[in-house]
Amino acid sequence: MNGEFILKLVLECILLPFFAIFFGLLLKGIDRKLVARMQARVGPPIRQPFLDVIKLFSKENIVPEHAVKWIYNAMPLVCLASSIMVLFYIPLGFPPLLAGHGDLVLVLYILIIPSLAMIAGGFASSSPFATVGAQREMVTMISYELPLSIVIMSIAFYLPGSNSFSLDFISSHPLWNSVGVLGFAGLILLLMSLIIVTPGELAKVPFDVAEAETEIAEGVMVEYSGRNLALFYMADGVKIFAFASLIVAIFFPYSISPLLNLTGLYADIANFLFFILKVVIVMIFSVSIIRAAVARYRITSVVTGYWVTVAMMALIGLLLLMWDMHYHVRWS
Amino acid sequence: MAHEYELSIGPIHPALKEPIMIRVKVEGEEIVDVDVIASQNHRGIEWLGMNRNNAIQSIYLAERVCGICNFCHPSCLVMAVEEIADIEVPERAQYIRVIQGELERIHSHLLWAGVAAHELGFDTLLHYVWMVREKVMDVLELVNGNRVTKSIIMYGGVRRDIKEEHVEHIRKMLDYYRNAFSKLAKFFLEDKTMEKRTREIGILTERDAIELAAVGPTARASGIKKDVRQDFPYFAYPDFDIHAITPDELTGYTVGDVYDRIVVRLLEVKQSIDIIEEALNEMPSGEIIAEKKLVKLMAKIKASEGEAVARYEAPRGEDIHYVKLKKGFEPLYSWKVRAPTYINILSWRPMLVGYQIADIPIIAASIDPCMSCTNRIAVVKDGKERIFTSDYFHELSVKKTRRLMK
Amino acid sequence: MMFPMFKQLIVQMFRKPFTNPFPAKYAPKSMKKFMEDVEKGKAKINPPVEIPDEETFRGRILYDRDKCIGCQLCIKVCPSKAIEFKKEEKKIRIYIGRCIFCSQCNDICPTNALSMGNEFLLASDSKVNDELVVE
Ligand code: SF4
Ligand code: SF4
Repeated sequence: MNGEFILKLVLECILLPFFAIFFGLLLKGIDRKLVARMQARVGPPIRQPFLDVIKLFSKENIVPEHAVKWIYNAMPLVCLASSIMVLFYIPLGFPPLLAGHGDLVLVLYILIIPSLAMIAGGFASSSPFATVGAQREMVTMISYELPLSIVIMSIAFYLPGSNSFSLDFISSHPLWNSVGVLGFAGLILLLMSLIIVTPGELAKVPFDVAEAETEIAEGVMVEYSGRNLALFYMADGVKIFAFASLIVAIFFPYSISPLLNLTGLYADIANFLFFILKVVIVMIFSVSIIRAAVARYRITSVVTGYWVTVAMMALIGLLLLMWDMHYHVRWS
Repeated sequence: MAHEYELSIGPIHPALKEPIMIRVKVEGEEIVDVDVIASQNHRGIEWLGMNRNNAIQSIYLAERVCGICNFCHPSCLVMAVEEIADIEVPERAQYIRVIQGELERIHSHLLWAGVAAHELGFDTLLHYVWMVREKVMDVLELVNGNRVTKSIIMYGGVRRDIKEEHVEHIRKMLDYYRNAFSKLAKFFLEDKTMEKRTREIGILTERDAIELAAVGPTARASGIKKDVRQDFPYFAYPDFDIHAITPDELTGYTVGDVYDRIVVRLLEVKQSIDIIEEALNEMPSGEIIAEKKLVKLMAKIKASEGEAVARYEAPRGEDIHYVKLKKGFEPLYSWKVRAPTYINILSWRPMLVGYQIADIPIIAASIDPCMSCTNRIAVVKDGKERIFTSDYFHELSVKKTRRLMK
Repeated sequence: MMFPMFKQLIVQMFRKPFTNPFPAKYAPKSMKKFMEDVEKGKAKINPPVEIPDEETFRGRILYDRDKCIGCQLCIKVCPSKAIEFKKEEKKIRIYIGRCIFCSQCNDICPTNALSMGNEFLLASDSKVNDELVVE
């Protein structure tokens, strides 16, 4: 039994990164195609990100003369590795691979690492554009961290018990079932805050100030090319996957197998596919549509937007949840 | 105090796409100083017009000063030559010229609107506006035979008439734009993110605009009622009731920021629609060109002597061509193009200082810069760029004046 | 409404894309091979947008050799110097690779030997192949 368990774990640990990269790129492809359709364009084929990665790997890897070479070369790997690592702690339709070894707070910390890697890489590449980009990335990070942590705290706060920070626990106790009217409104606000945090976390329009193409020429990425850029590119895909999974795990943890009366392996497969579907839908709403519908903010508006508007929204959500615990206004 | 460092936007930069360099000193995100270094690319168009080409060939060369305003530059040249050679242009031709010029204004302003949206990272709006712009491009192709270069103007008139069956298409296009206008205005002026990025950004005060001699929509957005079509009407414009458009017509007040420049351009699209409509209704019949025989025309231009300055309200502002002809000399004896952007880039400095790095693209784009018209001179010798002093230029211009006066 | 683009997005998402996917929906790997396949009937080309008015359209120049009297006026006005004079035959040769389709030569030709055609798909890997030299 134990041997089997370890074998399974090792196998999954090898398979998951590959799947994460594959699915991350696929998500990027879907996102690009969808946005293209929203803009009345044909858009690239869905497999385009794969072609991009293949092409990037075949290109020369240029390191700027004045760059700090080891940081410059290491950061793309760190970025990709840490993005994949998040997935080990998130339930993907089945309990997380490292369930019991880390909780939501750890996930929060790991989520910072890819951004930190980008910042370090940007500073190490010695270009003024990258420096501006890195500074902006830092500011963005500081901005969205506040609403993000409020959301996470509120949810952990609401759930009873000592392991309320465990994602496995959260996803097996869907929040929507236990809240009353006030809590429902609170949860909606929290979900909205999390959805607005997503583009910031993933550096997408309107919060892509760190990579603003027209302003600072892709910012932190400006000097990267070839293999290093490909790694960042894949990390971007994996990050979308990870963050969308996080939203799904917290807010939409329902599985489909009881509905279809499936058990055993079939149930696992059905749940997993359903989970994938949920991730795609969450991505469409939190990345694609937002990305297509608005213009890029200035860095100052990003800070005030996150700290004042979104944080306020999340705080009100928290307040409503607290009231809900006190007054227990039920639906009927 | 934050660390101060320098950023070069350009000569090659994804925001500008044309060779010009803006050196900005920034403190953190804030811009403290701006230097514009033009002339990264020189094409020698004026030289070709004065040496290689005959007068007719120069029309097509002028058409290529700028791909977007490919009607205003040749028109300006043609107007100057017509004045020297004393060529009377038939009434119908003047009306056709007005229609062509306004069609160009519509397509140019819409193109600009798309670019502005792109600078703000709003690509959906870019694609939407350019989708709307396709309509006028289709009409241009229908009327002129090609989507972009019109090749329609000729000394003494136009080369092709607007056919009866084309008129109907143009009218349909006008209706289409009347309907599209409200939508465009909504997307550009009511969107919260757009407003945040353009309101109170890149302000050019009326005083600065006057002092820097800003032209076109850039000046009008600062509240200066200045429009060549209104002040010194050419072509058939005296027949129309044209007034310089300022942003307060729509919003009630003038700020002089990027938002106002968007307002002015949108209103000008509307104005152009009305002008075309009126021109189509009032267009007289008759000849479209004064001298059909091109050989005769060329001989006439070769035999005339004199100099003239022509002014034309291009989509970007006032375009000026100075032409001098000499008897027996086939090319233009002297030709000087002053494109609107050449003047307007000066206003970048007051617009940029005090704002953020993020605002550079949209502020730079807000004057609708067209570098291709702007580049003048660049001497690179032995790998070193030679810097000219103003004394040297003064000496050169004195010499040139002497030569011209001979 | 704060984000008026929103509605438009949803509408456009379910509409056919505005783009005309010429020559195919996705760029083929090799354009040359694709065109060969089209000729053989193996692949289908998505037609370009139609020419709105064949009469005014300015495409590849058509040259009527017999009408030409060799007056060289067209050479004089051609702004891009695309026309060459063949001394022995007293005829002209037009290099389409240089032509800017201004149709000025058509206007000046005393015998109407020149006219603008409708062909505009002129991309080629050689500037002087048969299609791009009219004589
Ligand atoms: S169309 Fe214009 S460019 Fe082409 S050959 Fe004739 S004159 Fe020359
Ligand atoms: S102008 Fe006409 S007739 Fe004269 S050379 Fe050219 S094509 Fe021949």
